[in-house]
Amino acid sequence: MARLKQRMRRFAQRPGSADLTPYRTLLTAVNTHEERIGALTDSELTEAAKELRERSTFGKDELVEVCALAREAADRALGLRPFDVQILGALGLLEGHVVEMATGEGKTLSGAIAAAGFALRGDQVHVASVNDYLAQRDAEWMGPLYKLLGVSVGWLNQSSKPDERRAAYEAEVTYAAVSEIGFDVLRDRLATDEADRIVPEPRVVLVDEADSVLVDEARVPLVLAGSTANEAADPVIADLVRRLRLDLHYEVDDEERNVYLTGAGSEAVERALGGIDLYSDEHVQTTLSKVNVALHAHVLLHRDIDYIVRDGKVHLINDTRGRIARLQRWPDGLQAAVEAKESVAATDSGEVLDSITVQALLNRYPTVCGMTGTAVAVAEQLRTFYNLEVLVIPSNQECIREDEAPRLYTTLELKEAALVKEIASVHETGRPILVGTLDVAESERLSTKLRAAGLEPVVLNAKNDAEEATIIADAGSFERITVSTQMAGRGTDIRLGGHDGEDHDRIVELGGLYVVGSGRHTSSRLDDQLRGRAGRQGDPGGSVFFGSLQDELVTQFAPDHDSPVEVDDDGLITDAGTLHTVEHAQRVAEGVHLEIHRNTWRYNKLVEHQRELLMSHRDKVLTSDAAWEELSTRSPERAAELKEAVSDEEVLVSAARLITLYHLDQRWSEHLTFLTDLREGIHLRALARQNPLDEFHREAIPAFNRIVPDSWEAAEETLAEAKVGEDGVELVKAGVKRPNTTWTYLVHDNPFSSGLEETFKGLVKMVKRR
Amino acid sequence: MLGAFRSALATPDLRKKILFTLGIIVVYRLGATLPAPGVSFKNVKECAEQIDQQGIYSLINLFSGGALLNLSIFALGIMPYITASIIVQLLTVVIPRFEQLKKEGQAGQGKLTQYTRYLTIALAILQSTGIVALAVRGQLFQNCTQPVVPNDTIFTLVTLVVTMTAGTSVIMWLGEIITEKGIGNGMSLLIFTGIAARIPAEGKNILSKGGLTFFLVCVAGLVIIASVIYVEQAQRRIPVQYAKRMIGRRMYGGTSTYLPLKVNQAGVIPVIFASSLLYLPDLISRLTTSTDAGATPGWWQTFVATHLVSQSSPVHIALYFLLIVFFTYFYVGITFNPDERADEMKKFGGFIPGIRPGRPTAEYLRFVLGRITLPGSLYLGIVAILPNLFLELTGQGQNQNFPFGGTAVLIMVGVGLDTVKQIESQLMQRNYEGFLR
Repeated sequence: MARLKQRMRRFAQRPGSADLTPYRTLLTAVNTHEERIGALTDSELTEAAKELRERSTFGKDELVEVCALAREAADRALGLRPFDVQILGALGLLEGHVVEMATGEGKTLSGAIAAAGFALRGDQVHVASVNDYLAQRDAEWMGPLYKLLGVSVGWLNQSSKPDERRAAYEAEVTYAAVSEIGFDVLRDRLATDEADRIVPEPRVVLVDEADSVLVDEARVPLVLAGSTANEAADPVIADLVRRLRLDLHYEVDDEERNVYLTGAGSEAVERALGGIDLYSDEHVQTTLSKVNVALHAHVLLHRDIDYIVRDGKVHLINDTRGRIARLQRWPDGLQAAVEAKESVAATDSGEVLDSITVQALLNRYPTVCGMTGTAVAVAEQLRTFYNLEVLVIPSNQECIREDEAPRLYTTLELKEAALVKEIASVHETGRPILVGTLDVAESERLSTKLRAAGLEPVVLNAKNDAEEATIIADAGSFERITVSTQMAGRGTDIRLGGHDGEDHDRIVELGGLYVVGSGRHTSSRLDDQLRGRAGRQGDPGGSVFFGSLQDELVTQFAPDHDSPVEVDDDGLITDAGTLHTVEHAQRVAEGVHLEIHRNTWRYNKLVEHQRELLMSHRDKVLTSDAAWEELSTRSPERAAELKEAVSDEEVLVSAARLITLYHLDQRWSEHLTFLTDLREGIHLRALARQNPLDEFHREAIPAFNRIVPDSWEAAEETLAEAKVGEDGVELVKAGVKRPNTTWTYLVHDNPFSSGLEETFKGLVKMVKRR
Repeated sequence: MLGAFRSALATPDLRKKILFTLGIIVVYRLGATLPAPGVSFKNVKECAEQIDQQGIYSLINLFSGGALLNLSIFALGIMPYITASIIVQLLTVVIPRFEQLKKEGQAGQGKLTQYTRYLTIALAILQSTGIVALAVRGQLFQNCTQPVVPNDTIFTLVTLVVTMTAGTSVIMWLGEIITEKGIGNGMSLLIFTGIAARIPAEGKNILSKGGLTFFLVCVAGLVIIASVIYVEQAQRRIPVQYAKRMIGRRMYGGTSTYLPLKVNQAGVIPVIFASSLLYLPDLISRLTTSTDAGATPGWWQTFVATHLVSQSSPVHIALYFLLIVFFTYFYVGITFNPDERADEMKKFGGFIPGIRPGRPTAEYLRFVLGRITLPGSLYLGIVAILPNLFLELTGQGQNQNFPFGGTAVLIMVGVGLDTVKQIESQLMQRNYEGFLR
């Protein structure tokens, strides 16, 4: 009966979450083995784990055995005995769920137990971490556990060399950041030699911070770009754009996503450039595009929010994490335009070679599982996009954090004044405070204000992850004020009383860590993540969020809110209607993001399918003599001629292969450009009541079908023209050269309103006019 | 196209979808013929044969596939749902709370759908009560003396109302699962089914008037359908270029990016508006006519009776035609705003080659739109009055619901084209295999 009730509740309130009951049964079984396994020596334990590998089936008994062994191993190797809830988490992971475990419950250990379990089952596991630092830390920290269980482990980061990467991938458990795995997959796809490929057949992926990777990051396709010698942005245009004025020469839309020239603006540009016609055929693709890109760089990208300038270079800041995205560059000339704006040296510009969404990357794995502190809120999305269920693990000790009601102010100024006042008054008691900000610029601004008030905050800004981890580990010590962006130092515990917890009791008496959010995030889930930094493992703690009607969240997503009714002298808003505005804005933002995700997914589905087909073709060319065979049947005379000139046929075979691969990759890259172009204007088709997605397919499919035939023709031509010496075919002179540098790009998306909506908007406007 | 269908049936999951959709349609048709409890099937049948179907309900009857005049369990058809969604859509621009929900994306949209469903139920109760009341009082079928609901106790009437309301909810569900799991848009397909279901009966009707007439009607019908398809597909493509990004090489030019303007941009809506408007004087005159047998009707009632109600009268035809032309312009005028379109293009960095963004672009769009709407409106008008001309020529007492007539053909062709297109695009996505040689 109770079970039915639980099921009903689950059905009613938490779509997409799994039933915990069977795991509790397994947990009981794990506990019964405790004594027997406790009696084993270290080597017997390793032996017992090894014996598991030889089992032909891997059912419930083996699952229980793995967890029991791993529990004991963790106790001996790490000095951490996993709590029951951690074992529950590991069981959930082994069954392929996303488990929700509160911050500080020991997700890393649960993950390691599960990874070891998968490895003993015979599957290679990739543990996808949030960043390079955590990949290395977790792999090294959990190393002894894996060793005792006889499982090999490896890690890699951005600076790993190909050999190190290969070694890491050969291990049974590999820790790496998601983007690193993604880029290795992309690079593998461009390999011209079978032996150059390093990523093994995908089996199991265990995603750390699953919600941010699977949902927040999934919106951003990983793009591999190669350098080309493109012309740099014109400094004249950057200079010209700097002189244009808002509202007179250009306008910015409400969402701050688009900027465009006004009539006066384009005339000013035309005059300044010597009386040209911007919209003539000659200037459309060149000057006009340049001006638009420069304007975008100048107006919409803000220094210290979207990017920072350091060491004479422009570095992007990842907006969900507030940290430098080292390998990311803006696409399509925007990077060059920003460099021109900041007057730093121009770097190479790139052309897109290939791309993959996080979603497609993870869907390659037959088994996906993950862990996070906040999964239920995105359960529906996890189910639609990844076919994953969420398993909510209860916390080991009840959370006693006190979340205060959010405070809303009329202006930014008043909000920050109140914030500083609040921090100062709490600080007097010595209670540690963590201030979570939305972006780097806000961190800077707040810390300046705090210093002006005589406080000494420690500021965490998009620096390196390792340094941040040590700072954040101490955020719980006496009298500490830490100002940090939301993601900085994620994955590191904040212990009360410093990283070694020596001051623990004193801090507990003060009420634990006090988390202050300087603004609401674009999703309540991100708010919860920040809150979750306080009150770990049953510790006391508190949290409060500040907000103002001038926050970006409100101005962007609920610009036409009513003016507040009840405001006190400090600008604090107390009427329910206006307080509701923020929640509304947050829901709008969530809706917009979901829509973007869904759109990316829809449009990418076809592209993924095409990529798969092309890759299987490419694989065939790469691993066999197909290229030489095809080309010699196409032009038998040339083939005979070549055979006479070159004695070793192997040379010809590999040359033919290289030429074919080059043209194939070239066509694919062009195809991707075409799709981007197509995508940009496809929404216009809705005007003729056509479904843009169908129309996209209608155009994309024939274009794709031309790739392979075209590549053969081009390869045939190249082969006909290539100069052949005794030691091989001169490929570079024939135009076959490959880019040697690669980057990743950030891609954004524009959802458009539907036709029906336009209709009614038009109607209302007509009514209002009369 | 037959080839496309054959390969669609050869693709397992597509075949499953198509069969599923057909299955639902069968269920829908069964329900449409199943009399509601308490209704005398025999009497209804006799009555239905007696009346001419030009009454107020003919449009609803058209949409419900004749289920209304069968007083079946699906008598209300999906009209309540359509009405409810239009109302909710309208409310999103009027009520701030609805507008907020709409902006909140999927979650908010879900709430709106929920409201639409509740509203559908409410409307269904209202309409079924109305229809049951009319039926009981013998007003549903004028000139018919047989009691359609022989046992008119309150219990029977309540059962009838509940049954019809439940029927509407079932139809709503059927439509939604077609959209979700089948192929095409469920609601449109159900309307399509309703109209198509009448073809055999009408065909039989015509056949009884002689083989030659039947043959001619069939030929004319095919010609009309073919030309409607032809015009429905026609569009003017205005090339659009985007100059927001710098791309090293553009292989394909801007050919695939264009702004399509359909010749018949307005669809079937002007026809529906015009015919509803033409019923209005008839309705008013009926309501104002005194029930006394001896009273002489006023001059305008005579006028209405002779010139407006009779669908073969030249005045009626001319008025109908003009109204359609007017409503086409009206509809295009409110749905396609060249200024907004030009503004949106400007925002996203797009423009029509050779034309400056902003005002000049809007002017150009207005010019092209004006030129394309004229033939579009004339075409709509002609298609709509064709059956009326037929009546004039053959002198038969047919009506607007004639299966090859205006509204019906436009709806059927529209839905048919959409569905075929959807099958085609699904087919394209699946039939890749075999391309790699």
